[in-house]
Amino acid sequence: MSAERDDAPPFLGEWRRVYLAVLVYLAVVISAFYLFTQAYR
Amino acid sequence: MRTADWIVLVTSLVSIVAYGLYRSRGSNTVDRYLLAGRTMPWYAMALSIMATQASAVTFISTTGQSYIDGMRFVQFYFGLPIAMVIICAIAVPAFHRAKVYTAYEYLENRFDAKTRGLASVIFLMQRGLSAGLTIYAPAIVLSVILGWPERVTTMIMGVTVVTYTVLGGIKAVTWSDVQQMCVIFLGLIAALVTVIVLLPHSISFGDAVYLAGAAGRLNAVTTNFDWKDNYNLWSGLLGGTFLFLSYFGCDQSQVQRYLTGKSITESRLSLLFNAVAKIPMQFFILFIGAMVFVFYLFVQPPLLFERAQLTRIQSRAEYPAIARRFDDAMAHRRVAAAALAAAHHEGDSAGEARELSAYRAAQAEANDAHTSAERLVELSGGGKGFKDTNYIFLTFVTRYLPVGLVGLVIAVIFAATMSASSGEINSLATVTLVDIYRRHIRRHASDHHYVLASRVATLFWGAYAVLFAGWGKRLGSLIVAVNVVGSLFYGSLLGCFVLAFGFRRVRGTAAFAGMIAGEAAIFSAFLFTSISWLWYNVIGCGVVVLVALAITYLKPEQTAPPARARA
Repeated sequence: MSAERDDAPPFLGEWRRVYLAVLVYLAVVISAFYLFTQAYR
Repeated sequence: MRTADWIVLVTSLVSIVAYGLYRSRGSNTVDRYLLAGRTMPWYAMALSIMATQASAVTFISTTGQSYIDGMRFVQFYFGLPIAMVIICAIAVPAFHRAKVYTAYEYLENRFDAKTRGLASVIFLMQRGLSAGLTIYAPAIVLSVILGWPERVTTMIMGVTVVTYTVLGGIKAVTWSDVQQMCVIFLGLIAALVTVIVLLPHSISFGDAVYLAGAAGRLNAVTTNFDWKDNYNLWSGLLGGTFLFLSYFGCDQSQVQRYLTGKSITESRLSLLFNAVAKIPMQFFILFIGAMVFVFYLFVQPPLLFERAQLTRIQSRAEYPAIARRFDDAMAHRRVAAAALAAAHHEGDSAGEARELSAYRAAQAEANDAHTSAERLVELSGGGKGFKDTNYIFLTFVTRYLPVGLVGLVIAVIFAATMSASSGEINSLATVTLVDIYRRHIRRHASDHHYVLASRVATLFWGAYAVLFAGWGKRLGSLIVAVNVVGSLFYGSLLGCFVLAFGFRRVRGTAAFAGMIAGEAAIFSAFLFTSISWLWYNVIGCGVVVLVALAITYLKPEQTAPPARARA
């Protein structure tokens, strides 16, 4: 079984940084939705 | 539906199928037919994953849910980015490097044949049940809305899907999904713009958002914790993570999408696109439902959106009083909404508080009358637990959207059904061929034979889905049960993959016993508790891991190296 090469991501240099960016994005989205909910309750 | 709508609908559907078939030329080997020769770019996989996950019910039901209950359903997707990150880090490279056709094939490499067999059977049962429902649910709604016989809507969707899935394999499915998502995006944007344009001139977009919020329709985040509540921040983050780990990591209908990638990077990017895009997309769909709610503040909605059920209760003695109560509440709500918007505009705090109170009281009265009507449907033999949520958005579309756009939105419903259904049928055929037929029945046949067998399996599952959809009405309330049954299997599958990726000492027998115990735990939770189904995946996964670990450490002989059998 030939091992497939694990290339670097096209941005941010490392996959770990990409994953961290996605999780930070999630936190921002939830915060924004929370503020949206509070603003229009 | 007028002529222009028909032209838009037929053109959309024909172009989707034709484009999919055109891009699928040369799918004449098993590798190309089932995995597109592992050549797909990330954006095609990304849209295919999104299209497969978003069935027509997502659009019909989600907008209706927002109309009735607000936007809190969006929290269901909060676990998705977390799940995608975990899958990208662990499952994607493992599956790619193992060069497997199915997720369950990987389990034989890691454990043994019986664990692979059990996982395959669990998938076939779970996905097989939902394949019929994927076609049936929108078919019945379209049938009522358009006035066509159910058989016609079922056959249009079923035959179209089966044709291009059998002929073109996964390439046709994926490229059709890309087209379908384009139509879906276009239709949704058109629907939102139209509903805002149709609001009274005195109501600005800001007023509409304010009125939706005042009626509790913009509750995107709710922080209260309740085991029985499906949609809050905590169930979304924890239960949602486990659910999406199961769905994207263990369900072949999704795994097969990203196995077609030309590299690990392409597959990861396709999943991460969904991690980023899915929540805003769901928010957008729910927001359309909230705006439809605002539209109906100023236009009298029907007491029930499902006309057949409304007709059914109109002969009942209780009907006139309920209808009168509903009409009065709507009239009060209309006046209060206009006054509330005006007070808000003028910055009149006292008037705003007064009108807000009147607006909410009228809304509560309208809700009460609507619930009474739903109960009357039940009493009239219209089915237990009747809700008309699924008819709200399409009623709005067919009555108020301009000519041409109706055809486009109906095309969205057809496209969403076809994309979800083709993915399911294709994956069911793949598991049937790779994990059952090629593994246990005919191990050493020619590539041509397996391509033919794949087509036959696709045809079988397509025919099964259409037939199941045709029998859907006779199943009656069992349809609801079928939906719940789908959630009963994911937890143990997820637990098995957690063992495969995370616990190197665990072997086949322990994993197999863990899966059986996990299923028993999920069924116990389902039968004997009122815990929300979103938690079943957490429970099932936890039990599988704990039982397998207990067996592994209590019976050391279970840690012997696994057999290296391959299909």
